[in-house]
Amino acid sequence: MKTFTNTNPNSLDQAVSLVQQARTNGQTASLVGGGSDLLALVKDFIVKPDVLVNLKTIKGLDQVVPEAGGVHIGGLITLDALGSHPVIRSQYTVLAEAAETVATPQIRNVGTLGGNVCQRPWCWYFRNGFPCLKNGGSMCYSVGGENQFHAIFGGGPSYIVHPSDTATALVALGAKFRVVGPSGERVVPGADFFVLPRQDSTRENILAPGELLSAVQLAPAPPGRRSTYNKVLDREAWTHAVVSAAVVLDMDREICRSASVVLGGVAPIPWRVPDAERLLAGQRITPALASKVGEAAVAGAQPLTKNAYKVPMTKALVRRTVLALATRA
Amino acid sequence: MSRPSKLTPLKTIGHPTARIDAVERVTGKATYTGDVHLPGMLYARVLRSPHAHARIRQIDASKALALAGVKFVLTHENCSVVWGAGSISGGRQYVDDIKKITRHKRYLFNNPVRFFGEPVAAVAATNRHLAEEAVRLINVDYEVLPFVLDQEAALRPESVKIWPEGNLSPTAKNEMEPEVYRRGNVEEGFRTADFVFEDRYTTTYVHNAQMEPRLCVAGWEGDKLTLYTPTQGTSNCRHDMARDLGIPDEKVRVICKYMGGGFGNKNQNQDADLIAAVLAKETGAPVKLELSRKEDFIGVHGRWPTTQYYKVGVSRDGVLQALQLRGYSGMGPYRKNTGGIGGIELYQCPNVESVTYPVYTNRAVSGNYRAPEFPQGFFGIESMMDDVAYKMKMDPVEFVLKNMTRKSDDEVPYTNYTLEECIRRGAEAFEWKKRWHPPGADPGPIKRGVGMAFMALRSPTGQSSAVIRLDSNGRYTVFVGVTDIGAGAKTTMALIAAEALGVPLSNIEIVWGDTDRCPYSVGESGSRTTDMTGYAVIEAAHDLKRQIAAKGLPKGDNVLIASASPNPTSEGKVRKAFGAHFVEVEVDTELGRVRVLKYLAVQDSGRILNPLTATSQVKGGATQGIGMALHEDLLYDRQTGQPLTTGYYGTRIMTHLDAPEIEVIFIESDDGYGPFGAKCIGEAGIVHAVAAVGNAVFNAIGRRMKDLPITRDKILGALV
Amino acid sequence: MSKRKHDISRRQFLEGSGAVLVAATAGPKLSAQLSSSIQPETGGATREVPSTAIRLVVNGTEHRLEVEDRWTLAEVLRDHLGLTGTKIGCNRGECGACTVLLDGKPVYSCSNLAVWADGREVRTVEGLAHGDQLDPLQRAFVEHDGPQCGFCTSGQLMSARGLLTRNPHPTAREVRAAMTGNICRCSNYNRYVEAVLAASSTRDAKTSDRGAGRSTAPGRRGAKASARAGGA
Ligand SMILES: Cc1cc2nc3c(=O)[nH]c(=O)nc-3n(C[C@H](O)[C@H](O)[C@H](O)COP(=O)(O)OP(=O)(O)OC[C@H]3O[C@@H](n4cnc5c(N)ncnc54)[C@H](O)[C@@H]3O)c2cc1C
Ligand code: SF4
Ligand code: FES
Ligand code: FES
Repeated sequence: MKTFTNTNPNSLDQAVSLVQQARTNGQTASLVGGGSDLLALVKDFIVKPDVLVNLKTIKGLDQVVPEAGGVHIGGLITLDALGSHPVIRSQYTVLAEAAETVATPQIRNVGTLGGNVCQRPWCWYFRNGFPCLKNGGSMCYSVGGENQFHAIFGGGPSYIVHPSDTATALVALGAKFRVVGPSGERVVPGADFFVLPRQDSTRENILAPGELLSAVQLAPAPPGRRSTYNKVLDREAWTHAVVSAAVVLDMDREICRSASVVLGGVAPIPWRVPDAERLLAGQRITPALASKVGEAAVAGAQPLTKNAYKVPMTKALVRRTVLALATRA
Repeated sequence: MSRPSKLTPLKTIGHPTARIDAVERVTGKATYTGDVHLPGMLYARVLRSPHAHARIRQIDASKALALAGVKFVLTHENCSVVWGAGSISGGRQYVDDIKKITRHKRYLFNNPVRFFGEPVAAVAATNRHLAEEAVRLINVDYEVLPFVLDQEAALRPESVKIWPEGNLSPTAKNEMEPEVYRRGNVEEGFRTADFVFEDRYTTTYVHNAQMEPRLCVAGWEGDKLTLYTPTQGTSNCRHDMARDLGIPDEKVRVICKYMGGGFGNKNQNQDADLIAAVLAKETGAPVKLELSRKEDFIGVHGRWPTTQYYKVGVSRDGVLQALQLRGYSGMGPYRKNTGGIGGIELYQCPNVESVTYPVYTNRAVSGNYRAPEFPQGFFGIESMMDDVAYKMKMDPVEFVLKNMTRKSDDEVPYTNYTLEECIRRGAEAFEWKKRWHPPGADPGPIKRGVGMAFMALRSPTGQSSAVIRLDSNGRYTVFVGVTDIGAGAKTTMALIAAEALGVPLSNIEIVWGDTDRCPYSVGESGSRTTDMTGYAVIEAAHDLKRQIAAKGLPKGDNVLIASASPNPTSEGKVRKAFGAHFVEVEVDTELGRVRVLKYLAVQDSGRILNPLTATSQVKGGATQGIGMALHEDLLYDRQTGQPLTTGYYGTRIMTHLDAPEIEVIFIESDDGYGPFGAKCIGEAGIVHAVAAVGNAVFNAIGRRMKDLPITRDKILGALV
Repeated sequence: MSKRKHDISRRQFLEGSGAVLVAATAGPKLSAQLSSSIQPETGGATREVPSTAIRLVVNGTEHRLEVEDRWTLAEVLRDHLGLTGTKIGCNRGECGACTVLLDGKPVYSCSNLAVWADGREVRTVEGLAHGDQLDPLQRAFVEHDGPQCGFCTSGQLMSARGLLTRNPHPTAREVRAAMTGNICRCSNYNRYVEAVLAASSTRDAKTSDRGAGRSTAPGRRGAKASARAGGA
């Protein structure tokens, strides 16, 4: 591995200033949560930090705290803690379920929510060090190459899919992302946090160098809420989603008041499907409606040469997820 | 596991016995090569080609050498050692002469480089991070050349010639000819057949992915090399090292105590062994060379990908009349193995023709992986036959029973024959008749289906050696040149010795894995160790018993030493192990997921010496076969010729949650050959597993999956 | 780059080796090139490699070490504390061979830097048994033929230990889920699950944690760890 200096900030401000300091010295700095993603990139010389800013030494960033009727989840909470937290499990089930599908127990024991949301793409060209857009180059290799796992929505000029399971769930829950940086703190809705490649192909979210994700905020879960996360994987565990669906239904007895349908594995950002949500709002969810919702979820999909299979897969996954959730006792 | 046995029970053999070294393995005390640390040891790293095919114009290592602690850089400019086992005409890996005459020599560092990942330079430095950094400081100027990845495409005239003579890899006679087998007259057979079917099947490059990546530690004392390396054959490795370095065999000592698997990935010597040896010589210090997981995937070898064209002629009553295979095997740019495609021999048929082309491509090199030429070929032909049965409206099991092999090449008798019993017993235990339904008949959307495949696999006898020493304390020390790759050879040898000597297992000690201490052994490959070295142990035990009878037990400081180097034959008959796998899958026709619900392996491997470890072997093989059927592929980018899916994540190796319960039934027999009638088992679990899964998927969805692996995209693609 | 003269032993080595010389003539470059050595001049640029003093409690024994910031926990355990029972199969969170318990939870020691484990408790396979008395899991692994090649075994054991301490009587499904981060390429999965279930039915399934805080035998090179840590 290349040499670097590990630093252990004890506050967010210090973390931010360590990054700034490094940058002023002409060095590169990387934030570390659990390091389960970052370290492999460093080993492969894809990320070449001179300084690591180890966020785990900041106290208190790993808590779930009640806030304005909802919760505030520290960005350094581990996925294991998140997935087993009683409030998250009962009120924000989709998030707990998403966290539980990530990789393996070992990764969930160190991997943080912040790191999970901010993990770099798992496009095999990027990870193998091809000089593509994400690696500072000027072309995307997936378009003319192997794009089995790439985007069917929102692609271009890069066709990555957003790899994070929890991000998909967070967007479905309408989470707000708390960003801390040199100019203080801001709170950003999910729709604005993630960035399409056509806005900026070098990064996946709005975080500027020196900024970090300190927490996410979730509004109170209204009565009658049900939510779930379903993930299609290429083997039974330890891989990213081929396609996933995070569905939140706010039910009034048999009737769905409002719904949120967000897809993972299909687009460079967690992909919200407003048409599907509109179809559900105010309706009794029947198999026929669920099918329509599935159709709506894939309307306008633009598959590449080798990923058209994701269209029927997504359709079926959304249909099944919506139906199963609606009929769940 | 159930084990009805018609054999006379033995005392030590045939009972489930924990491995004699199991405690070492569960306490972390077993020493693997990576655990070897020698004083003053340097670390080496290899710079590998970032191109599929390129000529090196210039190498500038000055920046690397300028780093303090960097001791030496090897490149093609200062090292011309030929790696004999790295490219062999005909891929006959155990024939020394061919390694010397082969036309397409593989140097440790070649120019041009012919695949992504081929070594370009190697660095020795005081620590591994430094060596890694130094490798990145070596500047190489490449002239990038065109490349070809596909084995069929490589034979087209417009494809780049990887070697001046072209891309058909030469035979053992150094001729540019395909491998041909003929019996009867296929053209005639097709003319008289009532039905003729044709199809094409493909299989992918599947990596052994053994848990321990290749690595080694090499050190010289004067003119003698000691090499710690995970090799499946210490004797072969020693000889290969000596030949390649131009020194006598006795100047090389190879040590391999514990090894983290291999499945054929660690046969003989590897270029890494030679590179470390040369670096150690140059620097005067021991050198440890460790391959990363990615380097292991692309820098050693995996199963050869194949394209198989079949033509099958059948009579109206479903009897085979003619059988033809034209096959292409992608060998990478260097020939490490035969590139054969097994499977034709599974069927009884008067007219057979098989023509296989081992082809050079600019992919990672192909070589041994557990039953090198079989799982891919068995998948092709047993899928083909399953399809023929379907088209003939026959139950696939009935079709097999009608057409399966009964004599080797329809001519030479087997030493014994239990194939039919394996199939019938399996069909009954699996309740085949109850579970089978016409393909695609399950209404779904999650559809069940069953499949079956069978095997007959060579179980050769041959030469090996053993030495047994008896001291006055009643300790029997057995010296065998085996290494323990995971199949439990050490334990098996101890069991055989205890049985043959008529003493308790606890009186036996095994000395293994060190060429300076142990006699020749064939190596843990080709499912031969138990048969060949085990047989030598029996012979040595007989020798010892004769000595005891003549001289009495040793007293005081005296010892008795017995040895044997037998080379038994099967007296003109062909020795094979037999088996059949039955599998039930569930296919989600909307999400493309395949789950194995039930898996039954019926296996005749002769007498089962240790049911505990034998069962593990079958389970492991079958599970690897399922992985090959459903997941594994080393995918290449066609634009650049670079691999994309190295590693366990990339190639989707089966996890705990993927692995089904594998039920194993042994049908035991004793054909009078081999140690107490034992036959091969190490490879027997995987060879037909792939076909069995493929056939089950067909039965579930009614669509034939002809290209491995059977991934979700292919299933959904077939169903639109 | 100045050329250093070749030392004699190497020349003898090359001259005494027919194959090498034959190879050389047929090779891409001629044997004359063999003596154009690419060898470092004495000295060379020295660089600062950032390192940090840390404290690790490993299998109950406290270690104070000076580690390079870039060293992984696996590397420190294996190379600097002599605890080579922890294996490295992929060095990137893909295989599980390096699994250890960090404050009681299974983690990949290849994917954690040693500096991140500062002040924490690590338990490795060497810390499972107490003297000759094996952990119930180890006993079960022996009896049920858990290890084939054994390279994944330490990792399997540590994941299983993490599970049983938390949940002494898991179902088969729970065992698979808890151990899914441990590949076994020998694919002895059935055996491992069997063994963990067997161990979970023993009376002392959960109790093997009593090693914490006790001093266990230090690793082979343990004593010299601090001295070695800076330079190796
Ligand atoms: C084999 C394998 C399989 C995996 N499978 C999955 C999967 O199925 N699903 C899935 O979602 N993930 C998966 N991952 C990815 C990843 O390891 C996990 O997502 C993990 O949760 C990342 O968290 P971490 O804290 O370890 O991240 P780190 O490695 O610490 O960080 C990841 C990235 O985020 C940045 N970062 C970290 N924290 C912050 C912060 N607070 N603010 C801003 N930036 C930050 C880092 O600089 C880095 O670029 C897998 C990883 C591996 C190795
Ligand atoms: S999809 Fe994105 S990461 Fe992948 S090759 Fe294209 S630009 Fe690079
Ligand atoms: S070595 Fe750590 S997960 Fe493979
Ligand atoms: S026992 Fe060999 S990898 Fe598990």
